[in-house]
Amino acid sequence: MTITKTKPAKTGYHNLCPGCGHGVIVRLIAEVFEELGVEKEAVVLGVGCSCTATPAFGAMDRFQAAHGRGTATATAIKRCRPEITLFTYQGDGDAYVIGLSETVNAAYRNENFVAVVINNNNFGMTGGQMSWTTMPGQVTETSIHGRDCGYTGEPFHLPEIISEIRGFHPAYVARGAVYDVKSINQTKKMLKNAFQAQLNNEGFSLVEILSPCPTNWHMTPLQCKEHIEDEIVKEYPLGELKVRKGEEG
Amino acid sequence: MKEIIFAGFGGQGVLTGGLIIADMAAKKGLSTVWMPAYGPTMRGGKANCVVKFGETAEEKVGSPIMEEADILVAMNVPSLDYLAFCKPGVKVFANAHAVPADYNYPEGTEVTAIDVAELAAQAENIKGQNLVMVGAVVKKCGLFTEAYAEESMCKFFAGKGKGRFNDANVAALRLGFAAVS
Amino acid sequence: MAKELMKGNVAVAEAALRGGMDFFAGYPITPSTETLEYLSYRMDEIGRKGRFIQAENEISAINMVMGASSAGARAMTASSGPGISLKAEGFSYAARYSLPYVCLNVQRWGNGLGSLDSGQADYFRDVKGSGQGDYHRIVYAPADIQELIDSAYEAWEAAERYRIGVCIFSEAFLGQMMEAVEMPDFKKRKEPLDWGIDGTGTKGLKYLPGSGPHISAFNAEKYAKVEAEMQRWESIQTEDAEYIFVAFGLPSRVCKDAVTRLRAEGDKAGIIRPKLIWPYPWKAFEEVKAVNPHVKGFISIETNDLGQMVEDVALAAKRAGLDVPVYCYAHGPGTPGVRRVMEKYQAVTSGEEKERF
Repeated sequence: MTITKTKPAKTGYHNLCPGCGHGVIVRLIAEVFEELGVEKEAVVLGVGCSCTATPAFGAMDRFQAAHGRGTATATAIKRCRPEITLFTYQGDGDAYVIGLSETVNAAYRNENFVAVVINNNNFGMTGGQMSWTTMPGQVTETSIHGRDCGYTGEPFHLPEIISEIRGFHPAYVARGAVYDVKSINQTKKMLKNAFQAQLNNEGFSLVEILSPCPTNWHMTPLQCKEHIEDEIVKEYPLGELKVRKGEEG
Repeated sequence: MKEIIFAGFGGQGVLTGGLIIADMAAKKGLSTVWMPAYGPTMRGGKANCVVKFGETAEEKVGSPIMEEADILVAMNVPSLDYLAFCKPGVKVFANAHAVPADYNYPEGTEVTAIDVAELAAQAENIKGQNLVMVGAVVKKCGLFTEAYAEESMCKFFAGKGKGRFNDANVAALRLGFAAVS
Repeated sequence: MAKELMKGNVAVAEAALRGGMDFFAGYPITPSTETLEYLSYRMDEIGRKGRFIQAENEISAINMVMGASSAGARAMTASSGPGISLKAEGFSYAARYSLPYVCLNVQRWGNGLGSLDSGQADYFRDVKGSGQGDYHRIVYAPADIQELIDSAYEAWEAAERYRIGVCIFSEAFLGQMMEAVEMPDFKKRKEPLDWGIDGTGTKGLKYLPGSGPHISAFNAEKYAKVEAEMQRWESIQTEDAEYIFVAFGLPSRVCKDAVTRLRAEGDKAGIIRPKLIWPYPWKAFEEVKAVNPHVKGFISIETNDLGQMVEDVALAAKRAGLDVPVYCYAHGPGTPGVRRVMEKYQAVTSGEEKERF
């Protein structure tokens, strides 16, 4: 079998660390757009490694939001231009820590766009500090003896929160990962579902994607893969937390 | 320039009373300001507003706050504190039901005491005590004609979706006119 | 011509809509809440449902405004005191992206939570930029509700012409009081914007990217242009005045009355009233320099505690080559009465009041 290297038309190149998951995720989104026939799209980028990923979005319309505020900015873009297929692209620190209020409130209002959150268990771009998603005992620049959950709180699960709490009615919520072919393919299906939900005006979708961070985990890409497989998915199980209406069971 | 202070307790309709007079002036195309008591002065149940309007088409209202009022409507005793913001010879319209007849006014003050509770009861419009006052002020000070005042007030309430009370409101206004005739 | 009595906070909202505002996000705060309340149903009535958002907080509201603006909407937010401080980060981001928007500040007086009193204590914050970095916004300082209306109506063209944020610097009293006003007709944007997010990726925000001297040069040129073109003021009896009040907003109305009364008593008073406080109307002071060799000083009248605009008065006088003392009366909360302002004038002429600069 001959494998031809292709690149989705709307992607560009990025300067992320070797072994990082962002590049794969951007490509998955671009592929999904091609498969769904999306012609008008825009991305609201967060602050963090998602900034570094910016050039990867190549020819797409984009807005670099203030740190944590991406879902507020996106709310208004979608209200003003409902014909645009819109998504936010943020890290866990951006979307769940500084931007927790904005993310929860966009989900609460059930705004019709897709929030893509890259969860790499730390604040990557600032050099590897503890995030709410940091694993118990994980060493970071602000938890040098390992995260002590007795003082910091436990790993944070926004997808579970907005899927289960009364009064929240998101269209679609899922957690994927990009550490092997299987997880990448599964994540692509999740993204496709989320964007299909938006195209159908079903409301807010959140797709959290576990992503390796070789630089700040101080691991090789292969060690990262094993770490996600063996440890992280136990804390952050993969799968669909809220399936789209009509697709239950 | 006319400057009118309309003061009393919250619930006595002083803000609306002042607003009705301001509206009469505005509809004539006169420069008009209605300034409600705002912030800390609202606390403790005290309410007041200042109405200022130009007496000719050219005359513009400058300072929008209480300066030197020509007319003070006092629905209760604390309202008379505002005499400090009145001209010498100010016309005071006192609620006879609440303000003692022997109150010690500054020399030259022209006091008209009106039993607004009694008159509003006669009009079968107990909430219309402020309108009795409006009628008395408009008539006694010659601000507007009786016919214009009635028409303007009715339009004011109709605009607020309260036109169905206009008969009772006109009755209260007219008793105010009559009280100073 | 019959006019309609309108409350400041409502009139400004309706005027903004008539000026083409088609997105609003805000959060309740006294004394600006009536603007939010009014728009919550009024935008629905005129077919702009969904373009009104009661945001979860002030920060979200300004970030929504930026999002809407980036998508080509005429976007507005409104708040007071501490709410505007929370939005300041957004003002800076909007400046970086050259996003136009309008923000109404119905000022309340005081630090921290402040109070519900009226005042002009936010001068430094709103006139000098307010967020991180180096930028200005056009700041309208209306003195009556008709001017408040006119500002909100025309602000959109100014905002889009220069791709700049606009602040409408209202005051608690101005927002809460009513005046007889006339409302302009609905209008639309004349030319479509040549920038903005539309999903095609062909236009985008078209702001100057990167960092370095080219950004510095761009900023210097942009703000110098606004400064040259947008100075607006009113001068009354300044041509032969000995002492000239400088005041904006509600205190300027008091000062005008004071000038009339002082003139009647033989005092040669005058007033410069900035209609915009950024750009600051230093040309007004050049005019005084050109025609009035007798001017002895300027008196800034402000409703804050320490005196803020007085610094711009001194700079404008210096710039005009007027080497005269600059005085300040900082009244604190509320608005001074005419008698108080006249007393201050007399304290200056008698030498009792010491100059600030």
